[in-house]
Amino acid sequence: MSDKLIDRRDLHFLLFEMFEVERLLEHEYYEDHSTTTFKLALDTAYQLAQELFWPSFSEFDKNPAYFDGEKTIVPESMHKIWAAFKEGGWFAASFAYEHGGQQFPGMVHLAALYMFNAGNTAASMYLGQATGAAQLIEGFGSESLKKVYMHKLFAGDWAGTMALTEPQAGTSLGDITTSATPVEGEDYYIIRGTKRFISSGDHDLTENIIHPTLAKIDGAPPGVKGISLFIVPKYRVNDDGSIGAPNDVITAGIERKLGLKGQATAELKFGENDECRGWLLGEPHCGLKYMFQLMNSARVHTGLQAIAQASTAYQCALQYAKERVQGREVTEHDPATPQIPIINHPEVRRMLLRQKAFIEGVVSLLIYCGALSDRLRVAGSKEEEDTCRALLEILTPVCKAYGSDVAYESIMLALQCYGGAGYIEEYPIAQILRDNRVFPIYEGTNEIQAMDLLGRKVAVDQGAYLRALMGEIAKTLAEAGTMDALGGQTGKVQEAMEAITEVTMHLAAIGLSGDHKTYISHATPYLRAFSQLVIAWQFLWQSVVAQRALDSDAGDATFYEGKIATAKYYIDAILPSTHTICHLIKSGEDSALNFKEEWFGATHPSVTA
Amino acid sequence: MKIAVLMKRVPDTASVFKIGADNKSVETDNLKYVMSPYDEHALEEAIQTKEAGKADEVFVITVGPDAAKETIRTALAMGADRAVFVKDDAASDTNCKGTAMILAAALKTEAPELIFAGKQAVDDDASQVPERVAELLDIPHASVVTSFELNDGTALVEREIEGGHYKMEMALPALFTTQKGINTPRYPTLPNIMKAKKKEIKELTFADIGLSAADVASGVTIEEMALPRQDRLNKILDGDNDERVAQLLSVLREEEKVL
Repeated sequence: MSDKLIDRRDLHFLLFEMFEVERLLEHEYYEDHSTTTFKLALDTAYQLAQELFWPSFSEFDKNPAYFDGEKTIVPESMHKIWAAFKEGGWFAASFAYEHGGQQFPGMVHLAALYMFNAGNTAASMYLGQATGAAQLIEGFGSESLKKVYMHKLFAGDWAGTMALTEPQAGTSLGDITTSATPVEGEDYYIIRGTKRFISSGDHDLTENIIHPTLAKIDGAPPGVKGISLFIVPKYRVNDDGSIGAPNDVITAGIERKLGLKGQATAELKFGENDECRGWLLGEPHCGLKYMFQLMNSARVHTGLQAIAQASTAYQCALQYAKERVQGREVTEHDPATPQIPIINHPEVRRMLLRQKAFIEGVVSLLIYCGALSDRLRVAGSKEEEDTCRALLEILTPVCKAYGSDVAYESIMLALQCYGGAGYIEEYPIAQILRDNRVFPIYEGTNEIQAMDLLGRKVAVDQGAYLRALMGEIAKTLAEAGTMDALGGQTGKVQEAMEAITEVTMHLAAIGLSGDHKTYISHATPYLRAFSQLVIAWQFLWQSVVAQRALDSDAGDATFYEGKIATAKYYIDAILPSTHTICHLIKSGEDSALNFKEEWFGATHPSVTA
Repeated sequence: MKIAVLMKRVPDTASVFKIGADNKSVETDNLKYVMSPYDEHALEEAIQTKEAGKADEVFVITVGPDAAKETIRTALAMGADRAVFVKDDAASDTNCKGTAMILAAALKTEAPELIFAGKQAVDDDASQVPERVAELLDIPHASVVTSFELNDGTALVEREIEGGHYKMEMALPALFTTQKGINTPRYPTLPNIMKAKKKEIKELTFADIGLSAADVASGVTIEEMALPRQDRLNKILDGDNDERVAQLLSVLREEEKVL
């Protein structure tokens, strides 16, 4: 089992060489920082990932979270991890000093989260939501709500969740039925309803859990326009800040799941005794809008969680492939010669290379998104702000959907490298594969992401977000175009960009014709083709930086040569299917759209397992 | 009371080690450096002593190249108050004896009442420097300490010895080298990482402490370096079954001592 979780050299390359995190130091907001503070934080994060998160990884599978009838029990080591996270000031690392944070750049924080997730994703999930709830309250809460909840959440004294899904309303949030009834003369509402699949929904890590909860105020308009956001604590809070009476939030159970078993995924019943109080956040009926501010960063984080696990699986597979001896070179016919490590077999090498390419491509995009949020914070003009926002908007579905799709594929390849050994529980890959399977599903399924990309993000403002992205890609193409060594790859990325532009125009015409059903039926293939262009662009950019380092004889040639070779592999071997997909879309491939339900065959009424 | 912690920057033992082309040195290009793990225990013990209100100040002291500053920052982020850094290019040509002379010379002006150090550095495993420093400063020392208790002017410590523990009380000033198990070293916290930037690192050269490169030159020539061989030591037993069983029992009892 590898104790190496991620490629730290690659992360250093992204942060310091490609996205030049040190340039942020010019800005007042980051003036207390230095290269040293960044490196110390990253070193410490890796130490925590290796020494606290990763050693507890299999415990989270063997000792699932459970509800004993009174309280929810989480894996024992989670208490230690929570304490270390709180003690280390990690909850609010990238938040402002006034919130008890240290104003670390978002991309450094993201890099740290990448390491924690590589060590133990289920554990990281408990930690991530406290600050999410705090951010919502900071953004939209009244002064009194801020006073009661915000600092406790930023400090990690209390935990948070996101309570959206209901048994009858998952993807279709407009159909939630949780209700909020105003109480005459009081500042709270009475909340009634059931929420399901609530990550970290109940546990004994903190004395209170704060649920940002979507509900409909009595008489609200139907659909998403009637959704409001409430702060619902597990325990009420007394005026002096101490913990008060239970708030009638009852845990109905903890789900038994395929993976992420140490994570307490709860079903919660609000107001069974009509005693559940919720405080309205911001304006009535604006809940979904508020929640989406959190959802967007949650979606980037989902891509991060997914690919972090792929990284761990890859590092394990790489070590295994170097150590496991089996078979001989195909050209060696003497059975008396010693067997060779399986990394020497081209088929194994290809599987490793594919994993490396998926991981380095997606991590690059994720850190880029971190860099965009940092640029947004210090942006000097409205124009720059708009560009950063546009890029973040259009890249979010790519991070989430493409990130989690290829992460899963990558882990399957890692398992394949192990052969039969990968299928048994002695090695960590089986658990990683199970854990990882949720990421294409939660925070909006990948199909929803595809519809978000094609139906919303690409279409916004006559393609304004798309133009912003193409502008950035063009910059990289121009830079790469001056480097002879990158000639082949530059041309291929250019062609892919033209193909995406063309297919987008083709689809826009369908959309404008009013055939929205046909338009959106191409969402998933479009997302795949689009994402491959985005990742190829990241790789071309990486190649420019690496080639420059090679040209200047900066040393570490092995790393830079490996980087350019990985980029070349992605652009030569993975990117080309973009053209096939674009061709299919343009040819009007509509099988799924027009396939009749009865052609699938008859089914019997469903029976629950 | 002032506590000094002797600290060494060493390659992370998880690094892949390669012998250089000259067969006399280790390739350092791709090595990642960390604080020697036993020194982390030393620093932790010093910080805990201060936190218990029994000391006023903890400083770390190290000898090394400029890059050692990174390790110093880690120590400051863990909670040391300041650092003394003897930075001299000639330091690379010294060994345990010279390093001890440098540290002792720099410590003389600081005059700490209590000195902690890791029981050994995980790179050369020599276990010499702290003891030599104590000798040069003419103070008592106890090595491989697993438990430490500070009383009025004395320290009650437990040392690990073969097959048991050795409890002793010593008068201060004194030096102690720490063994695993004495404590759990803390992780740097983000607030302390921010504070570490502003803490003092006092840089000294050999001249500042009255030494010359010649004083500390190692006088040792490395002839060759090699990685340990990984041959298996197989032993084939001869004779009929009864004889081989007798031989096997004898090996297990007398040579391997597993029965």
